[in-house]
Amino acid sequence: MTNKVRIVFAVTFPRGKVTEFTGTEGNEMEILDQGNGEIFSKITPDEFRRHMFAKAERVNLDKRMDLREAIGRFIKNGDYLSIGGCGFVRLPIAFVHEVLRRQLTFRMAAGTRTFDVDLLLDNDRITELDIGYILGLEMLGIPQYTRIHVSERLSRGDLKITEWSNGSMAWRHKAAAMGVSFMQVRSLAGSDTFRHSAAKKVKCPFTGEEVILVPALYCDACVIHVHRADKYGNCQIDGMLNEDLEKARSAKNLIITTEKIIDTKEIRNDGARTVIPQFYVDAVVEIPCGAYPTNMPGLYYLDLDHLKVYTRAAQDRTGENLKKYYRDYVFGTKDFNEYLEKCGGLKRIEELKKIELMEGRV
Amino acid sequence: MEKKQYNPIELMACIASRYLEDGRLIFAGTGIPMLAVSLAQKIYAPNLILVYEAGGISPEASMLPLSVADSRTTYRAICCANMPEAMEMLQKGLVTYAFLGGAQIDMYGNLNSTMIGKDYWHPQTRLPGSGGANELGSLAWKTLIIMNHNRRRFVEKVDFITTPGYLTGPGARERACLPPGNGPHLVFTELGIFDFEEKSKRMRLKSLLPGITREKVIAETGFELIISDKLNQEKEPTPEELKALREDVDPWRVVLSRGDNDQ
Repeated sequence: MTNKVRIVFAVTFPRGKVTEFTGTEGNEMEILDQGNGEIFSKITPDEFRRHMFAKAERVNLDKRMDLREAIGRFIKNGDYLSIGGCGFVRLPIAFVHEVLRRQLTFRMAAGTRTFDVDLLLDNDRITELDIGYILGLEMLGIPQYTRIHVSERLSRGDLKITEWSNGSMAWRHKAAAMGVSFMQVRSLAGSDTFRHSAAKKVKCPFTGEEVILVPALYCDACVIHVHRADKYGNCQIDGMLNEDLEKARSAKNLIITTEKIIDTKEIRNDGARTVIPQFYVDAVVEIPCGAYPTNMPGLYYLDLDHLKVYTRAAQDRTGENLKKYYRDYVFGTKDFNEYLEKCGGLKRIEELKKIELMEGRV
Repeated sequence: MEKKQYNPIELMACIASRYLEDGRLIFAGTGIPMLAVSLAQKIYAPNLILVYEAGGISPEASMLPLSVADSRTTYRAICCANMPEAMEMLQKGLVTYAFLGGAQIDMYGNLNSTMIGKDYWHPQTRLPGSGGANELGSLAWKTLIIMNHNRRRFVEKVDFITTPGYLTGPGARERACLPPGNGPHLVFTELGIFDFEEKSKRMRLKSLLPGITREKVIAETGFELIISDKLNQEKEPTPEELKALREDVDPWRVVLSRGDNDQ
């Protein structure tokens, strides 16, 4: 038998009032309000812990492999997936193309997704989606076909969605990266975004104020494109980090695609630069220009010309022009290198490098 | 009619750039907000600290980023941070301004960028969703809004409150457990500048843009506007503003060209 301990907190409210309240077993946290959205990832903190214990046995392996092997071993149809990078920076497009060719289907985390998720949505590769930001290509607007296609799938119930925001999605990844089950946030309140999320409003057991809680988001798999990694998976990233550190730490399986594989000596020379350590990583895949046509800070700028080829094709509401785009650039190519060649190859990358280094125009 | 020397996007960016207090931390969304802030940095408020939600903090002004996450947002930045850090800066009260757009707005400054239509599950048009807008509008001290002005956008009731304004009026934000003391501050359109009346928290016409009458503003607004007793007349974009906007901020007219058809 456990001893019944009565815990009494004395709390000073921000308004200056002193209140006493108790936190004892049996006192359930009262749900004051909640969104009606579905929670798509059912992975619990304890399930994640057990997975990570087993994963730790692989910590010192040489994890280099090609993309096909990495996907074959660590990603399966129906997984709940998160993707690194955001907006137009460091999107693992080589991985996305391979997924399109293999016709894998996922449930997905979508805080600030642009070109990557549009490619997946065009081809019906997503069944359930936690939305922070989808469809829009930011400054380039929203592709018409993609928007119509998604609206129709929503109406038919083919695509299930739950509404969030970029901040709440980042914090959901962060809670999972901490190994806990929820996070308090101060956004979402009062909005229809809350109404269509799976967030809950409760009374804080410490201050007595009403607060919003969001559930931790543990993922089956995550794919992140980085600048440099060693064979064990220690990663360096230049530029902004988005929520990649949190995603890397909260996925059961993590595939790193990297511009370059470097010696572990280089990693050890400057350990402060390691943003993802090897114990989170399952596969290291070297893919130079693997983020093309998106931006790799310091290496190549996004290819506005190619993105416009896509957006122009997507303006055709029938989808015919977009079908041709996919035939030309994805399904008609055997791998990512062939795609790069079609887009201008090394010559184009050199131009994008000049633009990145502010020596040329977009 | 005489052809104007600028398009509506150029007009809105120039006007909005005049209203930012220097030395503050500011978040800006992609598109026209980013134009206005970049222009303000060139002319009126060189010490604004611009924070991008993906983690770029205070880059040295170069060219206009095409995304809230592209290397222009970290070019000679003081810090390459991450999304949680950027959002937590907002949550902790560091950020004065959030600069947003939207597809629909109502009299309380509630914003919709999620879907158009009466039934959420059968949208007439699905839009991107909140992005960072919900955090920006919930957590910054002063929300600035910039959007085109017509009855389809300025509506009695937004189809979806993506980002809270004053919700249903005075005290509603606090009752919903949003942090106290913040909310929508100014709205910029190609017709006028609007603030929110203190007591009712309803949108008020504060200033008319060049050549625009109050009747025109009322006709293009789908809800009852309060009209300020001290209605101002906003000055035309100056040659200096237009030059900086066209030559330095968006020299390849990535965003500016979107206004060309409406000229």
